[in-house]
Amino acid sequence: MRPRASVWRRARIREAGTALLFLLPLFVLVVALIVYPVYRAAWLSLTDKLVGYPERFVGLQNYAYLAQDDTFHAVIRNSVVFTVGSVGLKVVTGVLMALVLNNVVRGRNFLRGLFLLPWITSTVIIALTWRWMFDAFPGRGFFNSVLLDLGLMRRPIAFMATPEGAMMAVIVANWWRGFPFFGVSFLAGLQSIPRELYEAASVDGASTWRRFWHITLPGLKHVMIVTTLLSFILTINDFNIVYVMTRGGPGTATQIFATYSYQVAFGQLRWGRGVTICLFVVPILVIGIILISRYLLRDRK
Amino acid sequence: MRPSLKAATVAGMLLFLLIILVPFWWIASMSFKTYEQIQFATSIYVPNPFTWENYTGLWTDTRFPLWLRNSLVTALVVTATTTVVASLGGYAVARLRFPGREAVASLILILYLIPPALLFIPLYRVLAELGATNHLSSLFLSYPTFTVPFCTWLLIGFFKALPDELEEAALIDGAGRVTAFLRVLLPLAAPGLVASAIFAFTLSWNEFLYALVFIQDEQAITVPVGLNLLIYGDVFHWGQLMAASVITTIPVVALYVFIHRWMVEGLVAGSVKG
Repeated sequence: MRPRASVWRRARIREAGTALLFLLPLFVLVVALIVYPVYRAAWLSLTDKLVGYPERFVGLQNYAYLAQDDTFHAVIRNSVVFTVGSVGLKVVTGVLMALVLNNVVRGRNFLRGLFLLPWITSTVIIALTWRWMFDAFPGRGFFNSVLLDLGLMRRPIAFMATPEGAMMAVIVANWWRGFPFFGVSFLAGLQSIPRELYEAASVDGASTWRRFWHITLPGLKHVMIVTTLLSFILTINDFNIVYVMTRGGPGTATQIFATYSYQVAFGQLRWGRGVTICLFVVPILVIGIILISRYLLRDRK
Repeated sequence: MRPSLKAATVAGMLLFLLIILVPFWWIASMSFKTYEQIQFATSIYVPNPFTWENYTGLWTDTRFPLWLRNSLVTALVVTATTTVVASLGGYAVARLRFPGREAVASLILILYLIPPALLFIPLYRVLAELGATNHLSSLFLSYPTFTVPFCTWLLIGFFKALPDELEEAALIDGAGRVTAFLRVLLPLAAPGLVASAIFAFTLSWNEFLYALVFIQDEQAITVPVGLNLLIYGDVFHWGQLMAASVITTIPVVALYVFIHRWMVEGLVAGSVKG
């Protein structure tokens, strides 16, 4: 028994050694370019670092400043509206898209691929295109043209020039980019619901609506939670769409965490305060990460 | 299928097609219009007359070829490093037993969820200290912070799905872990590697925030940042901008058409199982 056990032990140590070797590049990358910068971010947020000047430790002054800063309050409100608005729309349209695709018999894979196109297109291109489609110039833009030609409006409206219009525009662009992913994930979720459940419900005389409410939605619960959390984290930290479409304007109407952080750090050159803005998202991020990890890691086991 | 359900499905499908295709059609049709057509809205829905002048102008009057080259170099370098690092890491987590394996798996997932918005300022300082800003090397170094966690996570799934027998056979024949990995598992995981490489390429190709922050030198600008320069110059070059969008989107769509089934399955596998 003994020599055998030691052979096994040696093999296991060798295996752990191989694992360490294989993971080494990943660890180097993670420590140098993620962990270390995060640590630097935390430190910077405790300083009054202005570009060109040495940093001075100021404790929690940046946090205290932002806590009573009206612009930052608007940023929090905008970020919540932007995130809840686009993620909510994505969930609803995603469910509809999955239901439609699930009923398509011929060409389902082709359509699924086609519907995913927005998701692989550059966000900058998407933002530029939607910005122009909403805008009134040059040449009236898309929505103005359609509404004018249908006789629903007399005069072009500059949607992007009003606070509500601009917020709606960035939400729509973000929704358009993101909902296909929801639809495709939900479709896979739908296909994993056992057919027998529907058949049994039909036999019992359950209406379409009741079947949707009591079988389809509970069957999609898991995938809905995961995609919603994932999208929530990505959306609340979005930069590209808002920056390209509105630069946070008009005024501060669409300024969200990342764009405000960029403006403070690279417009006003206040790096300490700029970093602090993004650190305010960390608690939400931590909660989101814990929830997602619990769901996703459970699957992998 | 009941007729009413069938009608609803067809109507829904047409509506979704419209929603998805209208912006793409807007990009494509605008790219074939003259400056006057766009400025004065003379033909809004289709280009009339049809012109290639935006495409030729883009090539001769702007720095688009240079941006395209920078984007391509960056995406290729990042894809190569990402594939190496992620396949090694993915294999180790999926198939080797070692203490702390679960912790490493969670760590990779957490890293994938850390947003670039949190990292761009401190990363800028770190890169500046390394002397890497204002050069494409800042992108070679920073893009793996999001491509590697994502691709490693994807490849863990692919490696886990491979059968144990072939690897065991190689090990019994006296091959070491490294040989077994290179000769047996890597070829078997080829579809996963291709999918992961295409993700890395697409993410790098489309990236905007880091490229905007880390690079000011005009020689090192990539396409997404360059596109913004086409509007904030003196004149609104919408026609050229849309032509550039068409050209930039084509390679990604081509790659995507080639692998879309693997890609969708790989993507969905992570979030749906269970």
